[in-house]
Amino acid sequence: MRDTRRARLAVGLLLAAALVLITVDRRVGSGPVLGPVHDVATGIFSKAEQVSATVTKPVRDFVGMLRAAPEAKQTIVALREENAKLRTEVASLRLDGTRAAKLDRMLGLAGLGRYRVVPAQVLARRDFPGFEDAVEIDAGTNDGVRPDMTVLSGAGLVGRVVRAAADSATVALLTDPAVSAGARLEGGNQIGVASGLGEAGGGDNLIKFRLLDSTVPLPLGGRIVSFGSQRSKPYVAGVPIGVIQRVESLPGDLTKIAYAKPFTDFSSLDVVGVVVQAPKRDPRDSVLPPVPRQAKQARERADERSGRDDEEADEARDRMEEGRAGAAPGGHRSRAREAPRRPAAARAARGDGRN
Amino acid sequence: MFRNLTAALIIFTALVLQVSLVNRLLGAYAPDFVLLTVLTLAALRGPTAGAVIGFCGGLAYDLLPPASHTLGQYALLMCALGFVVGRFGENAPMLTVAIFAVIAPGLAAGIGALLGNPGVTWTVLGSAWPRAAVCNLVAAPAMVWLLSGRYRQRRRRGGSGSTGMGPTTSWGRGMA
Repeated sequence: MRDTRRARLAVGLLLAAALVLITVDRRVGSGPVLGPVHDVATGIFSKAEQVSATVTKPVRDFVGMLRAAPEAKQTIVALREENAKLRTEVASLRLDGTRAAKLDRMLGLAGLGRYRVVPAQVLARRDFPGFEDAVEIDAGTNDGVRPDMTVLSGAGLVGRVVRAAADSATVALLTDPAVSAGARLEGGNQIGVASGLGEAGGGDNLIKFRLLDSTVPLPLGGRIVSFGSQRSKPYVAGVPIGVIQRVESLPGDLTKIAYAKPFTDFSSLDVVGVVVQAPKRDPRDSVLPPVPRQAKQARERADERSGRDDEEADEARDRMEEGRAGAAPGGHRSRAREAPRRPAAARAARGDGRN
Repeated sequence: MFRNLTAALIIFTALVLQVSLVNRLLGAYAPDFVLLTVLTLAALRGPTAGAVIGFCGGLAYDLLPPASHTLGQYALLMCALGFVVGRFGENAPMLTVAIFAVIAPGLAAGIGALLGNPGVTWTVLGSAWPRAAVCNLVAAPAMVWLLSGRYRQRRRRGGSGSTGMGPTTSWGRGMA
C-alpha cells in the first residue's frame, strides 16, 4: 500500500473537507449546521470526561500533594504573615464596610455584589500555547448556565462561558489571548481593558491591563476589578481580577500598560462559580453623583472620631447633602428617619428658589 | 473492521485522558498524546489509513468539549500529517513519529495564525514550540512502543504475514 492514486485522492478529499469545515465554522459559527454536531459530541465527550475526572481524581490529588510538599513550609510561614496582615485589614474593612453599605443604600445600588452563583466542578482542560485556554465545567443549561455568563472562583474572575450544553459548559479563561474584559483600578476607578497573554504571561499567568488614560499613575500592587458589561453580559461588575505587578510606560503612548497577577490560580482550577443572575440594577459608574467636598470633609472628620459615631456622621452627612441639593438623593433612606427631616428639606428648597 | 474499531477506541481514550488528566496534571508541560497516538497509528498502517485516522482524530479533537478554536483546524493538520507519516513511516516509525511530533506544534500554531488567532506571535512561538516539541519527544517513544507492541503481539499470535520487514511495520500495513 504505497503512495497510490487512491491514497492521494483520499487525502485530497479529506483535506478539502477540513477546509470546508473551517470555512463554515468561521462564517456561520455553531449555528444550525454545526450546532447539533457540537451538541452530540459535547454530550458524549463530557460524559466520558466526567467519568475520567472522577476516576483519576486520586492520581491528581496525589501528584498535587507531592508537588506542593516542598513549598508547604514556606506556605505556612507566608500564610501566617498574611493572616496577621489580613486581620488588621479586616478591622479596617469593617469600618469601610459600614460606610460602603450606607453609601450603597443611599444610592440605590444595594444590588451591587449580590450575584446568584451556580457552583461547578472543572472536568477537563485544554491549553494549546497561544491558541486557546479553556476548561470544561459540569454545569450546563439545565443549571441555568448560558453562553456569555461570568465565571468566578473564590479568589476572583476566571473567565466567561463560551458554549453551554445540557449538563456541561465550556469556559474561556481570562488568560486566553482572545479574551478581554473591561476593568478598572480599584480606588481611583480609572477604566482600562484586561486581556489574557496566554503563553507570554509566563508561569504566573500574568494578564495585561491597558489603562486608557496614560496620565493616571499606575501603582504597583494596585488592584484591578471588573468594570462590568452592558446588562452584565458577559462580565458582571466588581469582581476582583488581579494585582498590578509590573508597569510599562512608553513616553508618548496614548495608553499605559501594566501586567497584573490574577487572584485566581489558573494552574489549579477546581471549583468555580457561574453567575447566573447579575444584580437587578446595572451598577454603572456613571450614575454615581460626585461626592460633595463639604460632605466628604464632614464624613472624614466624623470617621476620625470613631466608627461608633456612625449615627452622628450620618446626620452630619445628611445635613450637608440637604444643604447642597435639597435632599434630592434621599430616596432610599428609611422612611421613619426621613419623615422629620422633610420640612427642613423643603425649607432648603424654598430657600434655593428664592435665591 | 475490528482494527478500525480498536483504533477509534484508542483515540477516544487518548482524547478523554488528555484533557481530563494529562493537561490538568502537567499544565503547560503536557505532551500531546492525541497527536502522538494519531501519528503512531498512521505510521503503523500506511498513508490512506493514516489520512483517515488523522482526519477523524483531528475532527474529534476539534469537537472535544473545552474547545474555543475553529472547527476543522486539527482535522486539516492531522489529516495531512497522518498521510505524510503513513507514507514515510514504513521503515522507521519511531524516527518519523518523533520528527513530526516536533514539527506539529509549530504547524498547528501556523494554521491558527492564518485563521487570525490573536495569541500566536513570534515570541510566543519561540518559547512555546521548543517546549511542546521536547515534551512530545519525551513521550513519543513510550507511545510508539505501546501501540506497536500491541500490533507485534497480535502478529505473533496470528503467526502468518511476517515478511521480515521489521518487527513493527509489516503487520497492519495492508488494506486500509
